[in-house]
Amino acid sequence: MTSEAAPAQAFRHSGKFIDVMGLAAKNALLTLLTFTLYRFWARTSMRRRLWSRVSAMGDPLEYTGTALELFRGFLIALPTFFLPAIFVYYIAPLALDPGTAGWLAFGFYLLAVPLIAAARYLMRRYQLSRTHWRGIRFGLAGSAAGFAFASSGWTVLQWLSLFWYTPVSRMNRAKLLWENARFGDQPFEFVEDGQSPQKDLWWPFALGWFGTAFAVPTVFGIVLSVGLAYLGLDAVASGEQATEPPPNFIAGVVIAYLIAVIGALLGYLLVWAPYNAAAMNAIAARLSLDGARFRLRAKTFSLFLVTLAGWIVTIFSIGLLAPIAGFLQVRYVINRFEILGEPRFAEIGQSIVSAPNAGEGLGDAFDLDMGVGVI
Amino acid sequence: MRARYADGRAAITRETECTLAADTLNFIIGETRAEWSYADLARADDGNGCIILKRKPDTGERLYFESEHEAELRAAAPNLFTKRARGIESPLIAASLAAAAYACAAAFLIGVPMASGPIADIMPTASREQIADISWSQVNALTDYCDDSDEAARILNDMAHRMMTAAQVPQRDNVWITIVDAPIPNAFALPDESIIVTAQLIAMAEQPDELAGVIAHEIAHIERNHVLKNIVSNMGAGIFFDIVVGGGGIGQAVAVASVNLAGLSYSRDFEREADARGLDYLDAADIDTAGLARMFDHLRTAAEGDVEGAIPALLSTHPDTATRGADARARSRPGLAQPLTEQEWRVVRSACGSGGGPALPAPAAAQPAEQPEKTPPS
Ligand SMILES: [Zn+2]
Repeated sequence: MTSEAAPAQAFRHSGKFIDVMGLAAKNALLTLLTFTLYRFWARTSMRRRLWSRVSAMGDPLEYTGTALELFRGFLIALPTFFLPAIFVYYIAPLALDPGTAGWLAFGFYLLAVPLIAAARYLMRRYQLSRTHWRGIRFGLAGSAAGFAFASSGWTVLQWLSLFWYTPVSRMNRAKLLWENARFGDQPFEFVEDGQSPQKDLWWPFALGWFGTAFAVPTVFGIVLSVGLAYLGLDAVASGEQATEPPPNFIAGVVIAYLIAVIGALLGYLLVWAPYNAAAMNAIAARLSLDGARFRLRAKTFSLFLVTLAGWIVTIFSIGLLAPIAGFLQVRYVINRFEILGEPRFAEIGQSIVSAPNAGEGLGDAFDLDMGVGVI
Repeated sequence: MRARYADGRAAITRETECTLAADTLNFIIGETRAEWSYADLARADDGNGCIILKRKPDTGERLYFESEHEAELRAAAPNLFTKRARGIESPLIAASLAAAAYACAAAFLIGVPMASGPIADIMPTASREQIADISWSQVNALTDYCDDSDEAARILNDMAHRMMTAAQVPQRDNVWITIVDAPIPNAFALPDESIIVTAQLIAMAEQPDELAGVIAHEIAHIERNHVLKNIVSNMGAGIFFDIVVGGGGIGQAVAVASVNLAGLSYSRDFEREADARGLDYLDAADIDTAGLARMFDHLRTAAEGDVEGAIPALLSTHPDTATRGADARARSRPGLAQPLTEQEWRVVRSACGSGGGPALPAPAAAQPAEQPEKTPPS
């Protein structure tokens, strides 16, 4: 079979905000009632909901993971991560001398960098192995330890370069993750065209970097001083006789500070939106499955609005409705995702990559991906 | 009815014609005739508009139906349209999870505090000293050591030792009183059997027996190992939150706070025990227990004049000061001599350089309320 023209909209996300919100609210309630033990069931039902609303060439994705698998992953992580953590943070400071205990805690923090990278890889492996399309499983080959090792090295380079290495390491990680990704027995490719993958990312990254270093603090300062001048003067005028600052002066300072924090957060999201959009588009443009290529049309301003909406829901629900943020992101990406050409699906057989039988213990520990797997 | 079939071996679907029999769903693919029992099928669509069936256990095969066939399918195989079939777990799971969570919470939040006595008693000296170091760093951060308080501290320690000798407190050699300058009138015991007394509390006392009452109370906390028991029971809560919430750091914060603020929050039972035992010391040392009652009065007056909540530490954890004062008064033996001489009392009063003017008797009732405001030059 040869490549044919793809349907007008190959990918579609039909998730309804109100539907997802209802499930997220139910999950949040049960999670609270069970001291968070329900979180494995919550995650599973939310993923099933989000996956099933994504359709590719007219057929939906299917999430086949179960809560018990996640729970088992948590139980595995308990002795391998939580108990050592409890030792390092509770027992060691009491049982060992302060120097040793301090070094132990420091070492534990250092260990967290590769551990988080490995957790992310294992989480991706679990999620892909539980994702089906037309009954065919996705998968992730490769070694989590290898990814953790490479990723930690890139993280160190990011630190050493005052984060200017970030675009390179983002593309490197995407390449490593996608080259090991499989649909059935067909690997994804991360296409090399002789040009540097991050060549379009430098200007947007510079905007984000300088924006964070200068613009955001400036916005914060201006908003804070304007707010203080306005609210503070008002308060002093109303309480002139009092020797102590009147109570509404304190309230004024708090409100001015909050407004400044919100302004700085908005500024932060805004200055990084071009980079995030460009990076997502650049990664999608390099992907290939059996010769078919992909395109993502993420735009700065719409991405900013979607991210902002997610933040607002997350913050106002003190994190309980965080899956909504994931949903908005996934829906945004899927609805702007296109395929150029068509893989020979008849030739793509069932996955031969082995699937893990327990999921995400460490990913749960570090609370990666806010409960849904965002790309 | 029309359906599409995916065989789980290639990523394509093929059109097929399905018939619904009594117990099975039948269709033909190529030369093969498939017969799927309804009982062995599950849904794979999570209610997304179409109906997708798969087999149990999963073979990778899928059957896709348009939503217009829902009524027919529902009539033939109602088991595929229950909540369970769509993957919604039974309420039993949520209920048993809640039960498990509360059992686990009970173990850590009630069980560990109940076991905190034995755990604290067998805790090795090294661990006790480590915990004390953490407490001391907190004390050092929040208070200033009074440089010229050595003589005053010696006087208070002598008084404490007279009480402990008279009452035969076993670990009396380890108890050591330190005077500090802090924003609030307070006294508390640390895990290494130190007692911290703030200059502000000394300033609040009008007579030596009032201070002796508070010190006796703190020694009783030490004798009964209340400090460590408190820390151990709070750490149970910390570890519980860490495990359940998944290492979010909340548990660590709880545990660290509990270690650092040790001595500032005892249970009502511990307070009663320390009160009763403290009064025993005073009696044994021939110090009038009414002094402790007057100290409670000062603290209550100070708290009433205290709008910002700057004096909560001693008082809020000693909820029924009036009752406790009455208990102390009931055992009063008026006419006993003060435990310190006027000269000694003057030295103690000037421990943090507050000038130490004549302190007995202090006349004004409003005096204690203002005392905490005075920050002695350090
Ligand atoms: Zn007490």
